[in-house]
Amino acid sequence: MTIKRDTYEDDDSSSSNKRVKVENGSNGVKKEENPYLAHWNDESGSKNEPSNSADLLYSFKRHGTTAKQAHDAEDGPLNPFTGKSLSSNYMSILKKRRDLPVHQQRDDFLSLYQSSQILVFVGETGSGKTTQIPQFVLFDDLPHLNNKMVACTQPRRVAAMSVAQRVAEEMDVNLGEEVGYSIRFEDKTGPNTMLKYMTDGMLLREAMHDNNLSRYSTIILDEAHERTLATDILMGLLKEVVLRRKDLKLIIMSATLDATKFQRYFHDAPLLAVPGRTHAVEIFYTPEPERDYVEASLRTVLQIHATEKEGDILLFLTGEEEIEDTCRKLTMEAQELLRDGAAGPLQVYPLYGTLPPAQQQKIFNPAPPPATPGGPPGRKCIISTNIAETSLTIDGIVYVVDPGFSKQKVYNPRIRVESLLVSPISKASAQQRAGRAGRTRPGKCFRLYTEAAFKKELIEQTYPEVLRSNLASTVLELKKLGVEDLVHFDLMDPPAPETLMRALEELNYLACLDDEGDLTTLGRLASEFPLDPALAVMLITSPEFYCSNEILSLTALLSVPQIFVRPANNRKAADEMKELFAHPDGDHLTMLNVYHAFKGAEAQANPKQWCHDHFLSFRALQQADNVRLQLKRIMEREELELMSTPFENKKYYENIRRALVAGFFMQVAKRDGTGKTYTTVKDEQSVLLHPSTVLAQDSEWVVYNEFVLTTKNYIRTVTGVKAEWLLDIAPVYYDLDEFKKGDVKTALQRTAMKIKRTNEMKAGRR
Amino acid sequence: MADSESEEDYMNMIIEEKPKQETSIQRAARLRKEREERGRPKPKAELQAEQEAATRERLETALPSTNKGFKMMEKMGFKQGSTLGKSKDARKEPIGIQTKDDRSGIGLESEKKRKFREQAEEVLSRAKRSKEDEGDWREMQRQKQKEGRRMKDLANAQRTAERLEDVDFESKDPTKVPLKSINVLWRGLNRQRLEKLREKREKIQLTNSLTSRLPTLAAENDDEDNDYKIAFGSAAESSFVDDDLDDGDEEFEEFEALPVEDRLQKVADFLREKHRYCVWCGDQYPDVAMEGCPGSTESAHDD
Repeated sequence: MTIKRDTYEDDDSSSSNKRVKVENGSNGVKKEENPYLAHWNDESGSKNEPSNSADLLYSFKRHGTTAKQAHDAEDGPLNPFTGKSLSSNYMSILKKRRDLPVHQQRDDFLSLYQSSQILVFVGETGSGKTTQIPQFVLFDDLPHLNNKMVACTQPRRVAAMSVAQRVAEEMDVNLGEEVGYSIRFEDKTGPNTMLKYMTDGMLLREAMHDNNLSRYSTIILDEAHERTLATDILMGLLKEVVLRRKDLKLIIMSATLDATKFQRYFHDAPLLAVPGRTHAVEIFYTPEPERDYVEASLRTVLQIHATEKEGDILLFLTGEEEIEDTCRKLTMEAQELLRDGAAGPLQVYPLYGTLPPAQQQKIFNPAPPPATPGGPPGRKCIISTNIAETSLTIDGIVYVVDPGFSKQKVYNPRIRVESLLVSPISKASAQQRAGRAGRTRPGKCFRLYTEAAFKKELIEQTYPEVLRSNLASTVLELKKLGVEDLVHFDLMDPPAPETLMRALEELNYLACLDDEGDLTTLGRLASEFPLDPALAVMLITSPEFYCSNEILSLTALLSVPQIFVRPANNRKAADEMKELFAHPDGDHLTMLNVYHAFKGAEAQANPKQWCHDHFLSFRALQQADNVRLQLKRIMEREELELMSTPFENKKYYENIRRALVAGFFMQVAKRDGTGKTYTTVKDEQSVLLHPSTVLAQDSEWVVYNEFVLTTKNYIRTVTGVKAEWLLDIAPVYYDLDEFKKGDVKTALQRTAMKIKRTNEMKAGRR
Repeated sequence: MADSESEEDYMNMIIEEKPKQETSIQRAARLRKEREERGRPKPKAELQAEQEAATRERLETALPSTNKGFKMMEKMGFKQGSTLGKSKDARKEPIGIQTKDDRSGIGLESEKKRKFREQAEEVLSRAKRSKEDEGDWREMQRQKQKEGRRMKDLANAQRTAERLEDVDFESKDPTKVPLKSINVLWRGLNRQRLEKLREKREKIQLTNSLTSRLPTLAAENDDEDNDYKIAFGSAAESSFVDDDLDDGDEEFEEFEALPVEDRLQKVADFLREKHRYCVWCGDQYPDVAMEGCPGSTESAHDD
């Protein structure tokens, strides 16, 4: 959220002035007068050549260039965007770039781009579209000469970062200058940035402050086929923006061929498809359904390794634990095969979103050579989540093993639970996975299910995220974006009405929307934070409980991956270490204890080692630290006071627990009688405390951060609270007249009576 | 009068039982019981089943129109039963949720269900079939028993007839009586005797032939051998018997071809007529009227 608004919020008139000059083709614009080319001035004085390659772009007619012109400009010898001489590295990369499939159609692309406001571009993963298309656009759109930028959205943070890095290299510029990226809690752009890779969520947040996205001249929505929540919302939004801003160009890029749906949605926009460089992939099914898909995967990989010709293996599994476990087993089994001389060496690499980037890079290591020259081939096997399905390209994969599952987010407004569940993939997904085997040469895909199951059991397309998500924060964003009529907002796949109903209800209880559905002051404030509305409200109201410093830390901790590490082979030691930080009143307070210890002098002396010793994730804590800093800036900007109750005060922890209630009063459960089970308030779901909890005394009332949906339902990250606080802090939600008869209502009524009596006694005493 | 009336009233008066007021002790007991019921930890399986059922029910119940969010949507122009957005095929219902807590592969669950269904069907049809079979089997057993009983009855009747015709017949050497001289009704008895004798003789001949080759054993069988020799007479005699047995006997074969009950009835009729003997009463009557015998058939004796 460190967007340099001041730098770019110039009015439109100045930029259009400049455009006129360029269109006049006057090469002789006084560079010295152009504030955006200030960095040229030092050098141009000494060079003073009238038409070097760096000046070429000034002769370009905006939206009228050809591939040939761009080609010449790219050839240098000076960088057309910076005027610096081009490195030899640039030249060697340029050669490779021109071999990419998209390059063949640069002219086709340009003519469609120039003639249409909206363009749908289809190119399979590996066609080079993510790195090349934005550069094609730069040479024709010339955003830097018009005080504009080109944005290219990515569904994943990692992709935004790594692609930006790659393109900076290709353009021979420093990352963060001409080419940058922006992801939640991290902005690596500068005043010279003309091409910005960003997560789709970030662009959406920017739109909240700039409803017309006026700083961009072209917006590219990449990987649109992934249909993330933010991409879907952006499409709905941009569909309206392009009507208001005729000068804005929009490119929708998709890796799959069902792009006609995008075309239809965007009023039959023209479509350009680049054939991927793919080979035939032979598909094998199992004759019988598998009893254990992980076991079957293991067997299949080993069989491929022992019997098939050279070529690397890609196995799709569902999550970190499953992947790590399988990596271990596979490595062991493969070593045995190697010892027996039945197969060559096998190098196994895991790949999933929360894996540190350095580890992720390892998947690109070359496969090991055969153990003996001419012996059975050595290979690598990558075990991945569906990251490797579309967004990542790994060369050398010839064999794909597909058990047919992935972890998917699900949300159902009726039980108000958002959870990650292992679910069967779609047919489209299965085809995408199979395609990964044909990148380098003809490959094979082993599907661990029957052909009949493929036809009958798999749905055609994966449900877009908007159908599987709680829309509370989306609704808040849309409100902030100025969308009044949420009911008729033109989404490509509108969710069930009940989903919107729940979102509005939640925001109303959080006092972010009034009964008319309009943003309240609190709602406007909450939308400033890139957080879930409940978290944002908790943070905003925390000064009332004298603990905004602590709640700020806690909010950051709840926004990052799990901070506790519990390795499979060392669970006991990890649990013992966790005990050191445990607070008897709950997990939130325990996390806070961890953070405070992490920030302590002892830990900061060697934080990495300290985290390792205490079974904590250094990365997660570091990230939390960064998130905290970003959130703190927003708080300061919004003039929210940062304060703490003195630690010696016995209300220190109580205040924090009360502040928790202010945000999470809709995620409360009450214990059933004296048993182990709890029942969630209002939704009446029977739940158990997650085994990871530190909550010592079984508290009658708890707030929880997460509902884990399995055949047994768990609530995770829980902290004990008091019924009095619920009635006191969230009286609207805890309006007893609205409760169904039952244990929860009776208990709350009892509490209400008690409060009343106490108050009367107090009044009597006075 | 008034007195008597009131007296009558008093007699007819129904003493209404007061509505039972729970005593404090009863109440405490009830509450305690209820508490225990609530506090009793339910078996895990029951608990989980309950949980799942509750979740399922929730998932199938649409949010009511009393929902605050619904009211807000109405203000934005939403109508009950319509959909969001502008596309025509928008969803009305949220996507269902399926949890998975094992590692079964895709299609296993439905394959299991299909197999289960097939098995259930097979078990059902087998149960049905075996019921039918069972009925048959019982009937067959009954028939068999009945026939066995009749065979016994027939043999008894035949023996009686044999005895009544010739009191000393049984003591006679069966081989000496030409088979065809015996009434066909009980000729079978003597045939059986002859067949038994032939079997014995064949056995002896077999042993003899063996013992002739194994002299050590021959001596031990000498006694038996002699006994049989005395009993059966010469080999020539036995060959006569053989011929008699093996000769065609159309009359006998015809009789034997009849069902058991018919044969029995024939023998019984013969005995009644000639000897005033009733097979089913098991008695010989002094006169032709056979007073006391219910009739000439088996069924007449059933009651």
